[in-house]
Amino acid sequence: MTQAWRSYVLLFRWQWLRNRQLLVLLATIQIALGVGVIFGFSYLVPHITPQVAVFFACGAPTLTLILMGLTLVPQETAQARVSGRFDYVSALPVPRLAPMFADVSYWLLVQLPGTIVTLALAAWRFDVHFHLTGLLVPAILLVSLTSAAVGYGVAVTFPPSATTQVTQFLSIALLLFSPIEFPLSRLPEWLQEVHRALPVTYMADVIRGGLTGQYGTSRALAFAVLAAYCAGGLTLSARAANRRG
Amino acid sequence: MTILRVDHLTKTYRGGGRANDGISLDIAAGEVFGLLGPNGAGKTTLVSQVLALLVPDAGTITIDGVDAVRHPDAARRLCSFQPQAAAPVEGVSARQAIEIVGSIRGGQRGPLRARTDELLAALDLVDVADRPVRMSGGIARLTGFCMAAVVPGRLVVLDEPTNDVDPLRRRALWQQVRRLADDGAAVLLVTHNVLEAERCVDRLAIVAAGRVQAIGAPGQLKADLGAPLRLECTLDPDKPAPELPASAALSARSGRRLLAHVQLADVGDAVAWAQHAQDAHLITEFSVAAASLEDVYANWVQPEGAPA
Repeated sequence: MTQAWRSYVLLFRWQWLRNRQLLVLLATIQIALGVGVIFGFSYLVPHITPQVAVFFACGAPTLTLILMGLTLVPQETAQARVSGRFDYVSALPVPRLAPMFADVSYWLLVQLPGTIVTLALAAWRFDVHFHLTGLLVPAILLVSLTSAAVGYGVAVTFPPSATTQVTQFLSIALLLFSPIEFPLSRLPEWLQEVHRALPVTYMADVIRGGLTGQYGTSRALAFAVLAAYCAGGLTLSARAANRRG
Repeated sequence: MTILRVDHLTKTYRGGGRANDGISLDIAAGEVFGLLGPNGAGKTTLVSQVLALLVPDAGTITIDGVDAVRHPDAARRLCSFQPQAAAPVEGVSARQAIEIVGSIRGGQRGPLRARTDELLAALDLVDVADRPVRMSGGIARLTGFCMAAVVPGRLVVLDEPTNDVDPLRRRALWQQVRRLADDGAAVLLVTHNVLEAERCVDRLAIVAAGRVQAIGAPGQLKADLGAPLRLECTLDPDKPAPELPASAALSARSGRRLLAHVQLADVGDAVAWAQHAQDAHLITEFSVAAASLEDVYANWVQPEGAPA
């Protein structure tokens, strides 16, 4: 077992033990959110066509994954900076991004029951047919790691008190102006162009593709763009985490 | 054999003062080295640089022959650390926290278990070892010590290890600190607690205003003070403080407590003066004793933290 893998496994175990009493509560909240999204959207849009239903059903887990990276990971990191846990773990002989990988793994597990319930509800309520493909796993990893790299980078760069504000801003921008729950074509021309350069459209696409087998853009392009963003995000995050005052 | 060598270390915070201003010190294997100084003296800044959490502006840090500034990963492998704030033990039991950190530091399962049991027994923690630890208080502090001591580095850094710890466990803790050094580690002990440090450290540095004010063995520093005895008086708060006699040199005054250095030849004069002051109700009590490390400390550090 390499030192890096060992560090990751042990930090994950630490994270799991530390939060195990909250596990049921957090997983329940995720399930409730999933239920809320599916039912909430059906009030928002009364006549749901099959295409809209697919966007809702697949958009919900995509949003969950992105928001985990952009809100839960940075908030946890900011809290760790305030409590001293961040410095403590930083003084241990572990790779700089190992704590982030441990956090992401933990949150992915917490979100798993909620995601399954959301998809099952969507299948029942909107009659969506899923065809899970093997590419769903790399899609989930790319989406969650790319988002978490951004969130973690924010949390180690900005003071803890500003982290919540910055991540909330990113989340709201994402919710309102990103083609996750609706097709890209619904946005103004210029915003479509912006989104062709940003990773969000491709994130929604690889998750939708992984769940239904149908991709909006080129599958190779979507994965290539995301892989590039993920590598870039992790490199920048590692650099930020390595920066010593 | 020198384990830690700090040479002309300087660190200035952005928008702040110079936290470390040319600090030099070294610690050998088997040595417990005390770093004493008031709040804001620059002790934590020094420790953060040794642990590769901060980069110095100038100067070098070498740990076991490795340049710790250029090779932070190696520095982290070579150091184990108990932070001044409570170690992050929330939600886990003492045993779990100790074993996880021990594993991260490369401990193997069998020896790690045995060493954890040994530390828990030595610090009388066996009964509470498997319950979740409360973040504050002595148990968290002792758990933090065990996390640093379970797989000790060549250098063990302990920042205020005895805060909140009860007297019996405190004594056991000092024995374990000594053991770490006897087993070959260099121990850097950061503390405010001068009296405890006197009993435990082999050498020490007094740091104030970012500089080393004095460095050496406690006995040597006391000898350098040039006065083997100390006169301690408790002042009457309602009366003006009496003028000290020429035979006693004021060392420190905080609140009602007044400390003065006295030469052996002048002890008769000093006692007569103190008795007179007590009879006149200017002081409520007094004592004469051998000078301690506290007198050395008071000689170099004013109450507000500036060097004397």
